Order: sequence, then structure tokens, then C-alpha cells
Amino acid sequence: MPMLTVENLMASYGVVRALHGISLEVNEGELVALLGVNGAGKSTTLKSITGVLRPVKGTITFLGKEITNRTPEFIVKQGISLVPEGRDIFGQLTVEENLRLGAFVSYERDRYKADLKEIFELFPILEERFTQAGGLLSGGEQQMLAIARAMMAHPKLLMLDEPSLGLSPTMTDQIFVLIKRLREMGSTILLVEQNAERALEIVERAYLLGNGEVEFAGTAEDLKHKVDIASVYFGGDDAQKAGVTL
Amino acid sequence: MSLLSRFMTFSRQHATLPLLMVPVIIAGIAINAFGSSLLLNVYTYFCVSLIMVLGLQMFMGNSGILNWTHIGFVGVGAYAAGILSTAPAVKHMGVPNMFPALVSLHMPVIPAILVGGLVAALLAAIIGYPLMRLSDFVGVITLFATLIVFHVIMTQWDNVTNGPRTFFGVQEFTTLWVALAGGLIAMVVAYWFRESGLGLRLRASRDDRYAAMSVGIDVVRVRYYSFVTSALMAGLAGGVWAHFITSFSPKAFYISEMFLLLSMIVIGGSGSISGAVAGTTVVTIARELLRQVEGTINNAHVLSFEVFGLTEAVMAVLMILVLIWRPGGVVGGQELRWPLFKRKEPGATKEAEDAA
Repeated sequence: MPMLTVENLMASYGVVRALHGISLEVNEGELVALLGVNGAGKSTTLKSITGVLRPVKGTITFLGKEITNRTPEFIVKQGISLVPEGRDIFGQLTVEENLRLGAFVSYERDRYKADLKEIFELFPILEERFTQAGGLLSGGEQQMLAIARAMMAHPKLLMLDEPSLGLSPTMTDQIFVLIKRLREMGSTILLVEQNAERALEIVERAYLLGNGEVEFAGTAEDLKHKVDIASVYFGGDDAQKAGVTL
Repeated sequence: MSLLSRFMTFSRQHATLPLLMVPVIIAGIAINAFGSSLLLNVYTYFCVSLIMVLGLQMFMGNSGILNWTHIGFVGVGAYAAGILSTAPAVKHMGVPNMFPALVSLHMPVIPAILVGGLVAALLAAIIGYPLMRLSDFVGVITLFATLIVFHVIMTQWDNVTNGPRTFFGVQEFTTLWVALAGGLIAMVVAYWFRESGLGLRLRASRDDRYAAMSVGIDVVRVRYYSFVTSALMAGLAGGVWAHFITSFSPKAFYISEMFLLLSMIVIGGSGSISGAVAGTTVVTIARELLRQVEGTINNAHVLSFEVFGLTEAVMAVLMILVLIWRPGGVVGGQELRWPLFKRKEPGATKEAEDAA
């Protein structure tokens, strides 16, 4: 049985329908990507899974339990952590406080200290900046803090919303190396990316969204070969005529 | 970890409290020894204000929601404690229409103050939940409207508050030392609250409500608990104040008094305990000086009209200036730290500079 199952999910912002029935699955230990252009419905799907947005229709099942329409707090406690788009860290709180908030889902002092050590091994910069306000960190450091904060909760499923957004190429490389490493350590990850090419290098399976629907689902290899990604990103045949390739 | 290094870490982390408390205590001892009775009163009033402002800081400073109702809870605590601690005979005379059941209630001052705090907290618990669902200006306006409701009830409920007339005959209990003890306890509680899990969650929700939800914080519930705790502190402050001033009317728990509390917390910086204490100090001193100036001008009869409202006007201007130049308040969002205990990590130096 898959860890996360989303069935026929429909969601809207007011009268604007953003998702027209999306279905997807994530199995335990998998690294799955959700790809698509701006407005395809990637973030909306994540918002619905985390309970921040109430879907109009459809069901979301996590570890055999239905979590549709539950509060975000409940869903976090079930073991789903989201690293939001634009690295929603708490800028006025210190790095330490940010990490502690991540650990609050099931706080134990000793485990918190042990977890901190682990986090510092993965992200040495956070130890250096431990007492500094989160807002004073650079973009890449904030992204690391956001991922570290989500990991402090020991999520069963980690969801990353556009972790490379607005980062320098070097920083993007580092983040992707890190995601790969988390995957190797046994985390289950749902990765949302616009940068399809980069994402397909590290994921096993991917879903390609377009206009609120799943346009393609399959392994990363399949997606690379069978689907003309350029046409998806640059508007179909016109793109091919113009000679755009990825 | 050795005992010594543990102690060093602890004192480094929590140096803020002694840093704030020691000057306040020294000032208290000095004023008690050398000060005039006016200065003694000003200082006692300062300590009582500290309890009110720190109570306000607990909710408003950590949640970012401007809580106009705060002074209303101070009033509830003041009336409740006053009614409980005043002898039946005195109440019979002072508040002729009081409910007989209330007239017969009588208890010593300290339990009366504690019950007053609990009454305020209970009231906050009853009305708070729907209010805490509101954010930003909607929340502020609703809390402001709630203060008006409180005020109307206090001025109209003859059988409890003596209506708009003065409620008098409360025993004098709050000496300089009682007020100082209250102020110090308030500092410890507010500091502890800010650093506690609840305070941290509340600060996170202030920083970014949606990010807070996504790490599993129930924003409404966290605000609710904090609102009730803050009202408890307000109620206790009201009881202490009532036994200092001994006679008061609903006027004391309304917009102009609330404005003074707000100016204290805004000028100092609502984000930290240090800011609240600094703001209370500055505003108390400025207010006293302005009052003297006002009195001098009026007594000299140099102007063809009476000068009044100088305090409020100057406080308002001061508040605007602070908001323009240092929106976070004079102290800002970080607590004061002892420079000697500056951490050696490269990250910490900037923070220490910011705090200084």
C-alpha cells in the first residue's frame, strides 16, 4: 500500500478552480517529483495535502488514514512536514528557535539534542549561525534552515516546495546533493520543482502537472524520453517550431 | 559538562533578567532611603505599571495583536479585588446599591488580589476564543470594541462598581516593597513565558502565521492560552493597583490609560522584556516631568488658557518618532545581554551588537 494516496483531488481559490481531479501516490522510501509550469497546480496540491487549503472534492490518505479536511496541526502530527515555497522560516526568531519549533511536534529534550547534532553534521553553517536571527541568513542558508526545521519533526513524508527557487546555481547544486543524501538516508520525499531537468536527475518517479491535471505519470526515465518537456514548458508545437529544446 | 561551564552557559543565556532587575531594585532601595514622598509614589506607580505592561507584553508583544482590552482586565481585577478586600461596613456606605451577596464577601488582601486575577482570567477565557480567530486590523478593532463594552458595563453596573462614581474605601496595602516584589515577579514570569514553548509558538505565529501552521502550531489555541495568561497578569496588576490608589472610577480603565500603557510598550519595544521595562521607565519619568512642567506653566499664569493634556500629546509625538526611526522600539526585539558573556561564535557578534 502506498504511503500517501491522493485521489481525484479538486481544489479552488474562490471561484477559480486550480485542480481538476489529481491522483498521485508516494510509496515509502521513494523520491517522487511533482513537475509543471507556474500555475499548473503543484503548490495547490501540497497545500491541500498539508491541510492549509481545503479541497473541494477528493480524498487524501496517509498511512491508511484519511486526512482530507483535517487541520494542518493534525496532519503534521501524522508525520507530514512541508518545507514551504520561498523558505517560510521565522525571520525574527533565532536559528535555534526555528529548529526547536520544528521539534515541537514530539518534543523530548534528549532527542532534541541528539537531533541537533545530526542536523549540524548535515548543515554545519547552522551551528555557526545558531544564535542569529533567521532573517539574517542568506537565501541558501535559509533554505537549509527550512529543510532542517522540517527534519526536526522526524517526518515520515517530507515535502519540498521549490527548494531551488531563487538560489544561485552553486547553492542549487548543494540543495540537490542534499536531497539525494536525505533520500539515501531513507526519507520519503515529495519534491515539487519547476526545474524539471535537475529534478529528473535525482528522482525515481515523477508526475507532470498542467492546468490542474496530471498530464503524465511514470518513471524519471520515461518522462525524459517520452515527453517533450520543452513543449510542456514553452507552449506545445510553437516551441518546437521555434527550436526550443531542453 | 562540568558544573561551572553549565553555570556559565545558563548565566549567558539568562543574563537579561538580572540585568533588568538589579537597576530596578537599586533604584527602589535608593528612593526608599532618600526620596521624597512624591518620588516614592512615582516609583511605586512605576512598579505597578511594570506588572501591567509586562502582562500586555506577554500577549501583544509575542503575538503582534494590539490588545486594547488589556486595561479592561486591569479594571476587572481592580474591582474584584477591591470588593473582596473591603470591609462590609465600608462597602455598605460607599456603594449603597451593591448586591447584598457582594457586600458580605470579605477576605484578606492577598487572596483578594489573587481572586481578582482569576476573575479577569476567567472572563478572558469566556470571551477570548472567538476573538483569537481574528487577525490584523479586524482583531484590533474587535478588541477595541470589547474595551468599550467593558467600559459601558463598568460605568452602568451600579450594583457592583458604583457606576461612574468613585469606588472608595479600599485598604492601602501596596507599599513600595509590595509593588517592587510584584514588578520583579512579573519580569520573571514574562521572561519565562517568552522563552517557554507557548511563548515561542506565539512568537512564531506572529512572525508568519502560515509557516507556523505548517510546523503544526494551532495558532488560535496558542493565542487563546496566551490571552488568558495575559489577562491573569492584568487582573493581578489591577488588584495591586487598587490597593495602592484606594479609590478609583471606571475612567481609570479606559482609552487614555490604555494609551499610556501602549506608549510604554511601543516606545521601549514590544518584542522583548527589556523593551517593556525600558519603555515603562522612560514614559514614567517623562510623564512626571511633563506633569511638573504643566503645573509650573499653569501656576505662573503666563498663558491666557489652562494647559492640559501635555502628557498625552508629547507621548503621542514620542511614539510617532520612535515608530519612524526605530519601529521595533528603543530596545528592539532582542533581549539585552551582558556584553561580558558575548558568545565567541562568529554568528553571535552581530546579534549582540543589535541588542546593544
